[in-house]
Amino acid sequence: MTSSAGQAEAVVRGAGAIRARPRAVLTSRLGEYAGFGPVLLLFGGFFFAPLVLIVAYSFWQVIDYNVVQNWTLDNYRYFLSVPTYVRTFIATLWMTALATVLTIGIAFPFAYWLTRYVSRSWQRPLLLLVIIPFWTSYLLRVASWITILGEGGVVNRTLEALGLIHQPLSFLLYNRWAVIFVLVYLYFPFAALTLFSALERFDWNQLKAAMDLGAPPLTAIWRIMLPQIRPGVITAVIFVFIPILGEYLTPQLVGGVDGVMIGNLVVNFFVGAQYTRGAAIALLITAIAVAMLILFRRSLVLEQVYGR
Amino acid sequence: MTLLERTMTRREALRAGLVGSVGLYIVACGGSTGGSSNAVTLNWITWNDHYMDDQLKAVHSSYQIDARVTLETDDSDGYLKIKQTKGQFDIASTDALWAPKFHSDGLTESFDISSIPASSQLYSVARDFPFWKDGSKTMGYPFGWSTIQIYYNPANVSPAPDSWHVLADSKYKGKVVAENQPTDLMAMAGLATGAKVPYGMTTDEIAKAKHFLQTCKPQFQKLVSQNSDVVKALADGSAWIGIENLGTDFRVKDAGGPTIKFVTPSEGTYGFIDCEQIVTASTNKDQFPKFINDMEQADWIAKNFIANGRPLFNEKAYKLLVDQGQKERADLLLYNKPEEALKMTLKGPSSNEQAYIDAFNEVFGA
Repeated sequence: MTSSAGQAEAVVRGAGAIRARPRAVLTSRLGEYAGFGPVLLLFGGFFFAPLVLIVAYSFWQVIDYNVVQNWTLDNYRYFLSVPTYVRTFIATLWMTALATVLTIGIAFPFAYWLTRYVSRSWQRPLLLLVIIPFWTSYLLRVASWITILGEGGVVNRTLEALGLIHQPLSFLLYNRWAVIFVLVYLYFPFAALTLFSALERFDWNQLKAAMDLGAPPLTAIWRIMLPQIRPGVITAVIFVFIPILGEYLTPQLVGGVDGVMIGNLVVNFFVGAQYTRGAAIALLITAIAVAMLILFRRSLVLEQVYGR
Repeated sequence: MTLLERTMTRREALRAGLVGSVGLYIVACGGSTGGSSNAVTLNWITWNDHYMDDQLKAVHSSYQIDARVTLETDDSDGYLKIKQTKGQFDIASTDALWAPKFHSDGLTESFDISSIPASSQLYSVARDFPFWKDGSKTMGYPFGWSTIQIYYNPANVSPAPDSWHVLADSKYKGKVVAENQPTDLMAMAGLATGAKVPYGMTTDEIAKAKHFLQTCKPQFQKLVSQNSDVVKALADGSAWIGIENLGTDFRVKDAGGPTIKFVTPSEGTYGFIDCEQIVTASTNKDQFPKFINDMEQADWIAKNFIANGRPLFNEKAYKLLVDQGQKERADLLLYNKPEEALKMTLKGPSSNEQAYIDAFNEVFGA
């Protein structure tokens, strides 16, 4: 091959390489985003699109069992004008808030004890015990409380056998307190695991130092520990508060007529094919959840939560 | 370097993903057409007491017709699902006046009932329900029926009730249980307050019904999702009064509970007559007569009665039950009196469903 011919071939090859480069870059880029595809499909197709549909439904009407695309604010206007819904919303909010506070209040001392006083070899088995209820279905976990708290349940029978009562206690079930109690039981593992994760990375020497310098234990926890594990606490609050806000099954099973939450009324709309009313009220619940996420947005740094 | 140790290139990963996706698609398509080339799968939207698993297996093995069941919570649920999914369903189970609604809206179509040999086993009254007539054809194949009435524990409820107004008696605070069926409970309240058409109440009648439910609310302990929950509450004594369909007294007894009695309220009662309908958009309509004929044979219907305990329309099955020593139970559950089904207020679509649900929620909200 002469040098000129070689140069010519190199030029041709170079041109080919230049032409090929954008394709290679494109393929490379596509490859980089391939992993994002399934998530895009899942959340785009099965979350975002239905959400858009729910938003649209909430502004439509049902006439003679048909969803009619008459754009209106009537569904929202109706909820805000009927005291029952406002009362139910308020009841749902305080029940959710109380259940969240109690759950965190019980989970925090547990996580504190587990990380501070239990050896590492025992921490994992104890955490396993916390998540064991997840091995059974959610429905069974709730329904089992009927067997425990019902008039013919374990608690009443035990109290009767001990001679402490002569008539079964009926207030253990079918009221708001029963709902809150069962919700705390159900969501305890979420809070415990999140708080354990946060406390596990806490430098206990700081707490000791604070106490060495004269801070009472509770002050040391409040002033030194809590600010540092705040993202973990907020995550626990979010993990507990938001799912409880939309709860339907627990109030249905153990709440009775007196323990109704807003989710139960949403279900009635769907049972009665009033999809547009149901969509509007469901979006109001979502709005509260989103507002809460915005409220906590500044405090929630993922790196701190997951310890990167 | 072994195959497992070697790093997969991006091209290989994408290719593997593509092959996997195609494979999943093929499997999914295969699933929808059934495992065997001769087998037909019918999609059936129904209630869980319309079939038994053994029955479906037997029909499949004998006749190569498979049924893929989707459970519906109520007729309105079935109505919307069929409407939105077009030809996804082949058969729909519907109640009394819902069947004409499905039919008039073009969701289901009528058929010649005599083309199904099993129909000769039906009571004659069931073959000729006027509200299902469409000329010489019928809109649905009759299955079963039940009134909804008051069940009460005579040890706790005295005197014996004779009216829906017992639900408003504060003596029974927290002792009443019913299924959470908003439209039907509103219709019940309509009956109690003298509404002319309980499923088609006027605004004034709805207001009266709502007020009645408000006075009843303190007596309700819970609104449950299943008949079995009412049975359980009556059986364990936590509830004294239940609003349920025929056979609840037997089911409570079977559950180890006390003797429960029932009363048909003086204001009248409501209930369902249900049937199987052909979905208009189905691509397997020709399989409907064969499938129904196989499913509705007397021996299966008799078994269904024993399992679920409410009257069905297959007369031959009644005779089988008599032969099996079940006459007393069948007669107590009015199996031998299908004409009684026409005396109740028939379940159907509400003329103003939104107003019914709104009123119901306003009563049972916080």
